[in-house]
Amino acid sequence: MIATFRYEFLMQIRRPVLWIVYGLTFAVIVVTFGQPYAELSMGAGVDRHDPTTAMIVSADLLMLLLPIVYGCLLADRLIRDRRLGVVGVLDATPTGHTSRLIGKYLGTCAATAVPFALAYFGRAVAYAITEGEPSALGWAVAVFVTTTVPALLFVGALALAGPLLMPPMLFQVLFVVYWFWGNLIPPRMMPTLADSILSPNSRYVAYGLFGYRPAQQPPDVLVAPDYYTYGPVSEAALNFLRPEAGVAVALLWIGVMLVLAVSVLSLARLHAIRTES
Amino acid sequence: MRIEISRLTKTYRGGVHALDGLDLDVPTGMYGLLGSNGAGKTTLIRILAGLLKPTSGTVHIGGHDIATTAGRLAVQRTLGYLPQDLGVYPDLTARQFLDYIALLKGIDSRTTRRRRIGEFLEVVALTQDADRRLKGFSGGMLRRVGIAQALLADPRLLIVDEPTTGLDPEERIRFRTLLSQLAGERTVLLSTHIVEDVAQTCRLLAVLAKGRLAFTGNVGELVSQADHRVWTLTTPGPAPSHGRVVAAVPEGTGMRYRLIAPTAPDPYARPAEPTLEDGYLALMETGR
Repeated sequence: MIATFRYEFLMQIRRPVLWIVYGLTFAVIVVTFGQPYAELSMGAGVDRHDPTTAMIVSADLLMLLLPIVYGCLLADRLIRDRRLGVVGVLDATPTGHTSRLIGKYLGTCAATAVPFALAYFGRAVAYAITEGEPSALGWAVAVFVTTTVPALLFVGALALAGPLLMPPMLFQVLFVVYWFWGNLIPPRMMPTLADSILSPNSRYVAYGLFGYRPAQQPPDVLVAPDYYTYGPVSEAALNFLRPEAGVAVALLWIGVMLVLAVSVLSLARLHAIRTES
Repeated sequence: MRIEISRLTKTYRGGVHALDGLDLDVPTGMYGLLGSNGAGKTTLIRILAGLLKPTSGTVHIGGHDIATTAGRLAVQRTLGYLPQDLGVYPDLTARQFLDYIALLKGIDSRTTRRRRIGEFLEVVALTQDADRRLKGFSGGMLRRVGIAQALLADPRLLIVDEPTTGLDPEERIRFRTLLSQLAGERTVLLSTHIVEDVAQTCRLLAVLAKGRLAFTGNVGELVSQADHRVWTLTTPGPAPSHGRVVAAVPEGTGMRYRLIAPTAPDPYARPAEPTLEDGYLALMETGR
C-alpha cells in the first residue's frame, strides 16, 4: 500500500495540468471574490478578526469551485492502469488488489489535494501575519482536517470510481453538474442535496463544532432559536436530510463522508472482482 | 518448480472456450509453449500467473494450489511475469518503474532494490537510459524494461508471453540467450507463436490448438511430425494446389516453393529435411 501510495502520489503531483488548472481556478476565485477573499469576511457582521471564523470563510471560498478541479483531475487515475496495459504486471505481484486500491486512492487524493492545501494554508499564513494572530494556523489545521479533508475523501472516492461505469470525459461533465446541483444550488430553488448531511460542501462542522454564525439570520431558516441555525430550509424538498446543526450532527456528517468514501471504494473493488474473470 | 495442470478449462462470458480440459506437466528448465493466435496460450499463462480464475480443473505450481489465495500468493512471490502487451507508466523513469515493481514484489530493502535494479538494467543494456522517463522509450526498450521487471525478484518461475515481439534481431538473440542461462534451476515457460524462438532455446515444448493440447514432447519429436512430408519445388508456374506452401522464394524466372504435403505435390517436387517450423505446421495441418 505504501509503495502504491508513494508512486501514485509522485505521478499525480508531477502532472503539469494539475498545477495549471488549479492555478487558473484559484485565480478565478480570487478575482470573483476579490474583497471577501482579501478580508475573509463573508458579509457584514462576520468578525474577520476572529481567526476561527476567518479560517472557516477561507475554507468555504475554496470549497466552492476547487473540488470540481480536484474531482476532474482524479477521474482517470483508477482506469488508467488498464488503459496503459500495466495492470497485468501489477496483478501478478503478491501485493493484494485492495491494498493497491487503497494506496492509489490515498496517494492520488493526497497529491491532488496539495495545491488545494497550499492555497488554503498560504492564506492562513498571510492572515496570521497581517492580523498578528498566530493561533489562526492552529485553527486552519483544525478546520481543514474536520471540514475539508472528509469532503475531499468522499469526492476523491467518487471521482476515482465513477469512470469505471462511464467514459472519463462524460464523468467529468456529470461531476461538474453534480457539484453545482448537489452542493451550490440553493435548496429552495429545486430539490437538491445542497446543505444536506450528504453534501460535501455543507457547513455542519462549521456550525456544530466551531460555532460559526452568519452575519444575519438567513430568511429561509425554519427553526430560529436564540441564535442562527443551520439545518432545515423552508419550502425546500429533502429536508429530512438537513438535521439541525450541532456537535452530534457535525460528527455525523464527518462519519457520513467517510462511510460514503469507503462504500464507493468497496463498490469499485467489487466491480474489479467482477471484471477480473 | 514443477507445474501440474489437470483438466483445466476456461470459458469466458459468452461461452467462448479458451481452454478445454487441458492436461500438462511442465518440469524445471526451459519449456516452450507454441500455438497460433487464439490457441489459448495467453489464457493459460494468465491463469498460471494468478490473473484469471479457471472455470474448472486444477493447477499446482511447486506444490501450491493456485485456486487458493495462499497458494496463489506463494506462487506470485516467486514469479517473474512478462505479459504479451506490457504497459508502463510513461511518467516514471525506468529506474522508478522498476523500483515500484520491486516494492510490490516485496523487496523492501532499499539497498537490495538498488543493487538488483542496477544489475538488471545492465543485463538489458538500459543503464544509460535508466533515469529517462518511459514515455520517450522505443518499443524495444520498453520490452527490455519488461524483461528487467520480470527478473527483479530472482524468480523461480519465469513466465514470458511473446517476449521477443518488438525486439530487433540482435536483441532477440541476446534475450533468448539470457532466458536459456536463467533456466538452470528455474522453470521458464516461453509462450510464443515464433517457432524460431522455441527452436533456439527449448528442449521440451507443448503445442496448443483451439484450447486443447495438440502435442507435448521434445523438439525432435515435433520435427518428426513432418518426416517425409516436406517438399521443395522450383517451377515457373503457380504453386501446386496440393499441399501447404510454407515458403516461396523467387528464383530465376520461377519460384522455389517449400511445401508440406502427405505425398509429393508435383512430379518434380523433391523431399526436404524438416525443421521445427515444418513439424509445427504439419501438426497443425493434421489437426484441421
